[in-house]
Amino acid sequence: MEVELGGGEEEPPSLLWGLDPVFSAYSRLCVRDILRMRESRQVPGVYFYNSHPIFQVDVLGTVVYKREREDFYCYGVDDSTGVINCLCWKNEKWRDQGGGRARGAAPGGFHVEEQLRKLVEAQRSSSVLEIGELLRVRGSVKTSRGQREIRASAFYKVNDPVMAVQISWMLEMPELYRKCYDKPFKPPSSELDSSSAAADGPQSFQSLLGRAVRAVKEFLREREVRRFRPYDVEYLLHPLVPRAPPQGTPADPENAGPSVAAQIRQLLKETLKILLDEGLIFRKVLSPDEVYNVTEHDKDLHMVTRDIIREDSKREKYAEKGCHVLHILSSVRQNYSRCLSKEALLVTLKFLECNSDIISTTECHYTVL
Amino acid sequence: MLPAPAVFHFPWELHPNAVEDGASVRTFGRLTYYRPEESVAILTSQHASVQYQVSVRTGFVEPFHSILGAQYLVLGEIEKAEGESAVTVRARILNCVDGVDLAVLHRAITEQRNFLERRLMETDSQTSHTYND
Repeated sequence: MEVELGGGEEEPPSLLWGLDPVFSAYSRLCVRDILRMRESRQVPGVYFYNSHPIFQVDVLGTVVYKREREDFYCYGVDDSTGVINCLCWKNEKWRDQGGGRARGAAPGGFHVEEQLRKLVEAQRSSSVLEIGELLRVRGSVKTSRGQREIRASAFYKVNDPVMAVQISWMLEMPELYRKCYDKPFKPPSSELDSSSAAADGPQSFQSLLGRAVRAVKEFLREREVRRFRPYDVEYLLHPLVPRAPPQGTPADPENAGPSVAAQIRQLLKETLKILLDEGLIFRKVLSPDEVYNVTEHDKDLHMVTRDIIREDSKREKYAEKGCHVLHILSSVRQNYSRCLSKEALLVTLKFLECNSDIISTTECHYTVL
Repeated sequence: MLPAPAVFHFPWELHPNAVEDGASVRTFGRLTYYRPEESVAILTSQHASVQYQVSVRTGFVEPFHSILGAQYLVLGEIEKAEGESAVTVRARILNCVDGVDLAVLHRAITEQRNFLERRLMETDSQTSHTYND
């Protein structure tokens, strides 16, 4: 038997398997991985690829081996990374053929029976394959007598005279692995055991951060703040951070005191970082004195931006489409603030457009009428 | 028993030093020569303005519809003969794929190969990691 993949890793509890979208899909793994996946210790018939629970797969490959049994065919399918046996059941309705063969259909006219017979014949021909033909099979993975195999739930012969299907399959597979199967599955933390403090900590900080960001945004909007320093908004965060734990030990108030203040400072830092990243605020100059300008209320910035677009739209180069965002950005940086972020400029442009001061001609070009 | 997986090889990679006797391969080329009485065919391809020829034993796949000049895909085992400078493929499967876009096929093969090699490197580093632990 070959080395199994990821022998040492923990498998997630079976209750959470359904949360992984891979679990309910037919996974397009390469045959080599299907042969090497580790079987679950909890439920036989379920396998793990990179912590994804998998029990059904979708395979395309050349038939290199064929054995007929009484009620199924056994095809060996080779996708150039491995060969796996596929059990393909024979359909009941093809059992007793032969009888209704030459029933003397009159030429011309539409015969339902004749058409139906042709349809069945076509179905049959796409489900009986010879060595060398291309087979696509979907089914569940089983292990019998130490050998992996696929019990087909659907299978058909693929007509691929110029290899187009095979080539696109080969090109798609690495992409699928990159985007999906090779990313380990992480069940959402709320579903995990909530009694574990480690999982609880970062999550509650996230929600705290969300509330802090909302509080600061609301404050800036309602008061129409144009610029502020961090200590101007710090008091907004005080009600959000819980005071020293009520049933905590009263012996060490010194410990609890600085930790709350440090928490608030940390929270404020993260909050401002989010606002900066969203472009809602920016710093006009990077000096030790931390002053933040509010993008939507900075009249000077709006004027500068509008003037640049108005002036430059007259130039021949920009006359047709208007100014490109990057051109506006570099001009604003030269004329107004060296450290204006692109996000902040986009917020400005959106604000100006909402006021009908400028209009966008394409996704990233702006002009003035 | 199932045969070994036939790994894609470019025709110019099939020389005696690079492949082992009995290895399963799949490759492609234009059918330029076929002699039914000897069960020998030759697939020709060009790469970097050099012409490569792969000889194929067709005993297992006969009779087949041979079209001289058409692209074929062959899947089979390598046979090395003593003192010969070229390898022979004993075909298990020989399919006509005339009209195939060779450029895209090249890309697909290279892409798949890179992907598998990268994965192999990753699992190697992982296993060495666990051993070190």
